Amino acid sequence: MQDAVRDFIALAARIGLNFDFLTSPFEVRMWLDGMATTLVLVALTIPLSLAGGISLAAALTSDRPWLAGPARAYVELTRNTPTLVQLMFTVLVVNMLISQALGGAQNNPLGAWFWLVAVVSLHVAALHAEALRGGIEAVPATMIEAARGLGFSRLEVLRVVELPLALRTALPAIVNNLVNLVKLTTIGYAVAVNEITYASLMIWTQRDNVVELMIVLLVFFSGINLAVARLGAAVERRLAVPGFGQ
Amino acid sequence: MFRKTPLRAAALLAALLAGVSGACADATLDRIKAKGKFTVGVILSGAPFGFIDPKTQEQKGFNIDLARALAEKLGVALETVTVTPPNRVQFLQQGKVDALLANMQVTEDRAKIMDFPPTVFDRAGGAAIGRKDSGIKDWADLKGKPVCVSQGSNFTQPLIELYGAVVKGLPSQPESLLALKGGTCVIAVHTGATLGLMLEDRAEEWKDYGILIPTEIVPADSVVWIRKGEKDTSAALDKALRELITSGKLLEIAKKNRLLNTAFIEEQQKTLSAAR
Repeated sequence: MQDAVRDFIALAARIGLNFDFLTSPFEVRMWLDGMATTLVLVALTIPLSLAGGISLAAALTSDRPWLAGPARAYVELTRNTPTLVQLMFTVLVVNMLISQALGGAQNNPLGAWFWLVAVVSLHVAALHAEALRGGIEAVPATMIEAARGLGFSRLEVLRVVELPLALRTALPAIVNNLVNLVKLTTIGYAVAVNEITYASLMIWTQRDNVVELMIVLLVFFSGINLAVARLGAAVERRLAVPGFGQ
Repeated sequence: MFRKTPLRAAALLAALLAGVSGACADATLDRIKAKGKFTVGVILSGAPFGFIDPKTQEQKGFNIDLARALAEKLGVALETVTVTPPNRVQFLQQGKVDALLANMQVTEDRAKIMDFPPTVFDRAGGAAIGRKDSGIKDWADLKGKPVCVSQGSNFTQPLIELYGAVVKGLPSQPESLLALKGGTCVIAVHTGATLGLMLEDRAEEWKDYGILIPTEIVPADSVVWIRKGEKDTSAALDKALRELITSGKLLEIAKKNRLLNTAFIEEQQKTLSAAR
């Protein structure tokens, strides 16, 4: 293994790339941890954002103003402010206020990791919700009327008629949002969550091997997003309703 | 290895050629003279080194004054460019600045990729700030504890490797100190001079906090960083630095900007004056 690493470093050096950091155990560990953390973040935030998006879309299209109003306000607030600002605000300000209210930071179980997961999922949830709302509103009114005529409640109509059709219409937009979500996890660098951009940044500020680590970063994220997009396309094909015009 | 040998040979050849032609300075010094401007990358992360005066919106601090004094010695005007720890080396290497006065001490890794005039103008190490009731008294107490630093800080590696701390690198010092207050970390490690002045100037805001460990971590020499191999720029800046130190101008700049500990500069002044 070590020989392989040494050969790789020598080979990279021949084309002018400096991968010397691979000989430093502490930097290698931080770097690999960073990759693992990014994968865990993606695996956590994708389902969370989808769950949040569906609930928000349901609230947005509800005919009860006390449900639709706050949901709309939330979507506007999250969608219109930068995610990085939201993250720094929650970690550096909101979390400090929570710590103070609990009588000291030692009593506060929430940290940068929690806020990163929450902010990224909830931000993308707002985008999902808008995509789904479009899908829900595209369901023909006659179809809903028919379902109501069959005795379905409002919630049942949403669950068995509107959402399944809305999901199909909204899928391309949702997959787009998920690709964005993967890239959004990189804002963790600003609050010292050790995801891959943070790890790379910590290494290249010491060693000035920006180009080398940038190449790895680009390949790494392209790989994840290629997989996400492929998976999305497969789901789209699987869910396609013959004759529904999709 | 594969890369360095031809580079070294090229540098040697360049040095020989420079010796032959004699009059021609290196690219940076030529450029400084040609445009009549010395462009310096400075960090504005806080007093005493560099900050923006809230009243006049002017850049102030030790870095700025030293840069201005150096430009004067070179006989050109000063232009400052604000840099941050993650981008400062790129700014220098891409030629956006001629030199860096960016709170960067000499480390082995940095010396591999950049050069500096040998005259040292200050010595700085990291001090540990934390809540007075945190029970931390020694660097060894940081084992397994979260410690905040600025991204790119040269305290990162010793904190992890020597003391086993869990280092959290925030984009810059203000974020790191906010994170300390928010409980993200129990200690923040930054340049001692900056923290000392902050505790003095904002005593009310920081009354529960103090410099908890009496020693500083990895005290190292503060130098002016320039691109690799620029011998003439280095010589010109070195001459200017020596003059600033022996004439007492540097000490004056340090005192004006309230560097709390000027012992090193005074020592340098004595040594250099005696050597003349």
